Amino acid sequence: MNQNVVMSVVLGISVVSAHAQGKLVMDGSTTVGPIAKAFAETYMRQNPGVNITVSESGSGNGAKALLNGTCDIANLSRHLKESEKKAMSEKGVKPVAHVVAFDALPVIVHPSNRVKGLTVDQIRDIYTGKITNWKEIGGGDQRIVVISRDTNSGTFETFKELVLGNDSKIVASAEYTGSNGGVRQRVQMTKGAIGYAGLGFVDRSVKALEVNGVVPSAESVIAKQYPISRELYMFTNGEPAADSLAAKLLSMSRTEKGREIIEEIGYVPVPGK
Amino acid sequence: MRLKLRKLLDRALTTCGYLAIGGMALFLLWVLVPVFTKGFGAYVFRGTVEHRRMMVGEFGRGDLDRLRAELAEVLRVRETVYQAVAAFERELDAMPAARRKALKPAFREVREGVSVLLGPEPGAPMPALTRRLYGQTRWEKAREKADDILFEETWVYSDAGSRRVLVPRAPQFEGTALAPVFTSLERDLAAMLRPRITVYPRFLTDRSIDAHFFGGIGPEVLGTLYLSLGALLVAVPLGIVAAVYFQEYAKEGPRVAFLRSCVNTLAGVPSVVFGLFGLAFFINTLHVSPGKSVLAGALTLALLVLPTVIRASEEAIAAVPRAYKEGAMALGAGRFRTVATVILPAALPGILTGIVISMGRAAGETAPIIFTAAVSVGQMVKPSEVLSQPTPALSWNLYNLCTEHEAVDELRHVQFGMAATLVLIVLALNLAAILLRARIARRLKG
Amino acid sequence: MLLSPGERMRRRLAELAGRGVLFGITSVAALAVLAIIFFIARDALPFFTQVGAREFFLSTEWYPAHQPPRFGAAAIFAGSLLVTATAVLLAVPLGLFAALCMSDVLPFGVRQVLKPVIEMLAAIPSVVYGFFALTVVAPLMQNGGSWLPGQFEIASGVNALTASLILGVMALPTIVSVSEDALQAAGRELREGSYALGATRAETLFKVVIPASVSGLFSAVLLGVMRAMGETMVVWMASGNAAQIPRPWYNLLQPVRTLTATIAGDMGEADQMTGSAHYHVLFAMGLCLLLVSFACNLAGEWIVARQRKRLRGG
Repeated sequence: MNQNVVMSVVLGISVVSAHAQGKLVMDGSTTVGPIAKAFAETYMRQNPGVNITVSESGSGNGAKALLNGTCDIANLSRHLKESEKKAMSEKGVKPVAHVVAFDALPVIVHPSNRVKGLTVDQIRDIYTGKITNWKEIGGGDQRIVVISRDTNSGTFETFKELVLGNDSKIVASAEYTGSNGGVRQRVQMTKGAIGYAGLGFVDRSVKALEVNGVVPSAESVIAKQYPISRELYMFTNGEPAADSLAAKLLSMSRTEKGREIIEEIGYVPVPGK
Repeated sequence: MRLKLRKLLDRALTTCGYLAIGGMALFLLWVLVPVFTKGFGAYVFRGTVEHRRMMVGEFGRGDLDRLRAELAEVLRVRETVYQAVAAFERELDAMPAARRKALKPAFREVREGVSVLLGPEPGAPMPALTRRLYGQTRWEKAREKADDILFEETWVYSDAGSRRVLVPRAPQFEGTALAPVFTSLERDLAAMLRPRITVYPRFLTDRSIDAHFFGGIGPEVLGTLYLSLGALLVAVPLGIVAAVYFQEYAKEGPRVAFLRSCVNTLAGVPSVVFGLFGLAFFINTLHVSPGKSVLAGALTLALLVLPTVIRASEEAIAAVPRAYKEGAMALGAGRFRTVATVILPAALPGILTGIVISMGRAAGETAPIIFTAAVSVGQMVKPSEVLSQPTPALSWNLYNLCTEHEAVDELRHVQFGMAATLVLIVLALNLAAILLRARIARRLKG
Repeated sequence: MLLSPGERMRRRLAELAGRGVLFGITSVAALAVLAIIFFIARDALPFFTQVGAREFFLSTEWYPAHQPPRFGAAAIFAGSLLVTATAVLLAVPLGLFAALCMSDVLPFGVRQVLKPVIEMLAAIPSVVYGFFALTVVAPLMQNGGSWLPGQFEIASGVNALTASLILGVMALPTIVSVSEDALQAAGRELREGSYALGATRAETLFKVVIPASVSGLFSAVLLGVMRAMGETMVVWMASGNAAQIPRPWYNLLQPVRTLTATIAGDMGEADQMTGSAHYHVLFAMGLCLLLVSFACNLAGEWIVARQRKRLRGG
C-alpha cells in the first residue's frame, strides 16, 4: 500500500515526499538539541533516503566538532568564544553563524515554593552562596538547593554572563547537571531547589519565576524585557552551498513550518520574514 | 554455659550469612522487578485508537478499513467536545471584557489539552511536529492528560509546608458552552479512545518516531549489536592468540611476567578512561573515522573486553587435559599443529563462554562510547556505514532519554522498555554462558 | 629422526617464526595498556606544567570556566574517596558474610544456583543502575527526609549516600565471588581438622579458614574498591556533582563530585586544538585514576606472590 495514500486517509492531508540521498552530522548544545532533532526528524520524514544524526554533547563540544571537521552543523546556545574563533582561523575553518531561534533562561523552582519572583541580584546572591535559605527572600524555611548546568554548556555561559557577572563564583555546594532536562527533573523532584533551563524545557511540573518582575515568555523575549535571554545558533564551516543538505535544514528555521516547530517545542522563532 | 555461648555465636554467624544473601536477593528483586514490569509495559499495554492510527500512518501496519470504521465511531463521540470548544470560542468573543480575560487562559489550556489528548481536530492544519499528529496512544497516559483538562493544579502555601490541591475546572465554566467538555470527558473517555490490550513486539525493531515519542528502539538495539559484535571481532582473535601464547609458548620470566601484569592492569582501567583514550587515540590520532563512529566505539570496547577474553581463554586452555596434548605430540604433530587441531577445539566451549560474557559487558558499557560512538538521534546504521557513521546505542540512549530529553516524564515507558531490553540482552548472554559452562562441566565429568 | 636435516631446519625456523608472531600479537594486546598510559599522560602533562600540581591537589577551588580558571581538585578527590570508601564499607561486610554463608553454610546445590545468580547481578549494566538510582532511589530518599528529624533533612535526593549505596551493590558480586573462591581454596582438610578438634562452624571459619584465605579476601576487597572507584554512569547520575567537601566531612546526605563523573561531564571542553587547561586537567584526573588502579593491581599481585612464597616456604 502506498504510504502517502495511507497518510492522506488516516490524517486527511496530502503528503509529498521527495527522494533525496545524503547524510548530515549535527553536534552540540542540549538546548538547541530539540530543535535540531525535530528539524532532522521532519526532514528525514519527507526524504526517507537521508540520514541525519544529532548528538547533544554541549556547546563546547559542538564548537570542537566543527573545528575538527567531525560535524556539518554545530549547534551552539552561545556565540563562539575568542579562543575558539582563533583556533578555527588557524585551522582554516570559517564559522558562519545562523540564528535559528531566541530563547530565555527561566529561573525555575519547585511548584510548592511560594516565592513568585526574584531580582537578578537575588539570584546572583543565591548562586554565590550569600542567600542559603528561602525564608530570607520570602519563602518557607527551607534550605536552597542550587542546581546549575555543567560548565561546558552554553546555557551556563549565558547564565554566568547575564546573571553572575565575571567576578562571582558559584557556591561550591551547587549541584551540576549535564542537560536542561536534567535540571528540570532535579528541580521538580527537590523542594528547595532552584535551577535554570531553556524555555523549551520548562513545563507545568516546575514553576518559572518572574525575574525583575518580568515573566519569561515569547512576548517578553521578543520585546527584550526578560533579562536573561539569548540567541540560539547553528554554525557551519563557510556558507553552505544553496542545494546542500545543510542549507536546506538551516533554511527550515525561516519557513512557516520550521517556525511552528520552534514554537511548538517552546522556543521563540526569529521574528520577521 | 560456654558451650551455649559458642553455639549462640555459631547461630549468629549463620543468621548473618543468610541475612546477607537474603539482602542481596531482595535488592536484586528491587532493581529488576520495576525494570521488568514497567519495561514490559513498552511491549504490552492498553493502546488507544490513536496508537492504531499511528501504526497505520507511520508504519503502514494494520487494517485500514477497520481503522476507518473505528475512527468514524470515535469521531462521533468526540464531536460533543469539538462542538463545545468551537461554540465556547464564539461565546468568548461576545463576553464582557473582564469575564473574557478571566476565562481565556483556562480555556486555552483546555483547548490545548484536548488537542494533546485526542490529536488534532479533523480539518485543523497539520501540526509541524509528528508528536502532535496523534493523540495519546497509551491509555494510562490518556487518563493523565484527561485529568490535566478536568483539574487545575494549584498550590496552597503555608509556613508548615505547601500542599498540592487539584481544583476541578468545571465549576468555572458552569453554564457556558464549554461545560459539556468536562461531563463528556468524564463519561466517554473510553469511547473516545477505545483502549484495547495491545501487544507491540516490534518495539524492539521499529525505528523511533520524533525522538522516541512513538515507534520503537530499533536503531538503539542495532547499534548495541554492532558495537558489541565489532568489539568481539577485534578482541577475540587477539585474546585467543595471547592466551595461547601465555599458556603454550611463554617461558616464565620477567618478560612474560611483565606482559601478564599489563593485561591485569588493563582489566582494572576505569571505563571512562577507555573513553578518553578512544577519543585521543582512535579518533584524534589515528583518524580511523572522521568523527564518532561505530568503528571507533567498537575498537575502544574491544580493549575493554580484551582482558576478559584472554583470561577466559587461558582458563579454558589450561583445563584441556595434558593427555590430549601429549598424545598429539607423540603422533608427531608440531606444536602449532597441536594447538590448532587439538587444544583449541577442546578448549572451544570454555573460550565461547568468555566470549559471550564479554559481549554482554560490551553491550552494557556506556562511558567508553560517549566520546567515540554514541549519538542521541540517528537512523538505523546500514552495515556498509559502520566504518564512518555514529550510532545510537541502548546504554547511551537510556542515559540520554532519562536525563537529557526535553520530555523525560512523557517517555518513562520508553526508558523502562530500553532498560528492560538492555538487561534482558545482557542477562540472556550471561545465561547462555552459564548453560554452556554447565555443559562443559558435565562433559568433563564424563 | 626420520626427517632430513633440511626438513628439520625448516620446521625449526617455522616454529621460531610462529613463536615470534604469537609474541608480537600478544605484546600488542598486552602493551595496549602502555599506550593508554602514554596517551593519557601525554595530554595530562601540559596541565602540570601550565597550572601546577600544587593547586590541583591542595586547593578546593574548582572553577574551570571562570576567568582566570581555578583547577583545585581536592574536593573532587575527596568526593571520589568518600563515595568509594562508603560503598566498600557497605559492601565488604555484607559480601564477606554472603561468601561465608555460600561456601560453608549453604548446601552444595543451593550454592550451584546462587553463584550464577550473583554473576548475573554483576552483569547488569551500570547505566541501568544509574537509571534505577535516579527514578527510584532518589525520590524515595527525598521523601524519606520528611519523616526524619529536622537535623537530617535531606535537601537533595541525589547525594553521596545514594551513589554509595548503588556503588556498594555493584561492587558486591565481585567481592562475593572472589572471596567465595578464596574461602573454597582454603580446602577441606583444614576445615575437617578444625571440626575434629571440636570447634563450632563459627570458630572454624574465624580462626582457621579466614586466616588461611586472608590474601584472597584482601584481593576481593581490592577488586571491589577498583570497581567502585572506576564507575562512571552511576555517580554521574546519582551523586549530584557538587565540587565540595561535605560539612561535616562524613555528611553523606550532601552532593559530591567524583573524578570519573567530572571526566564524563566536562569532556565538552576537551578541545585538543585549543589545548585549554580544562581539557588537560581531565586527562590529569584520568591519569590519577589509572595510577591508583595500577597501584591496586600491584598491591594485589604482591599479596598473591607473598602468599605463594609463604606456602612454598612454610
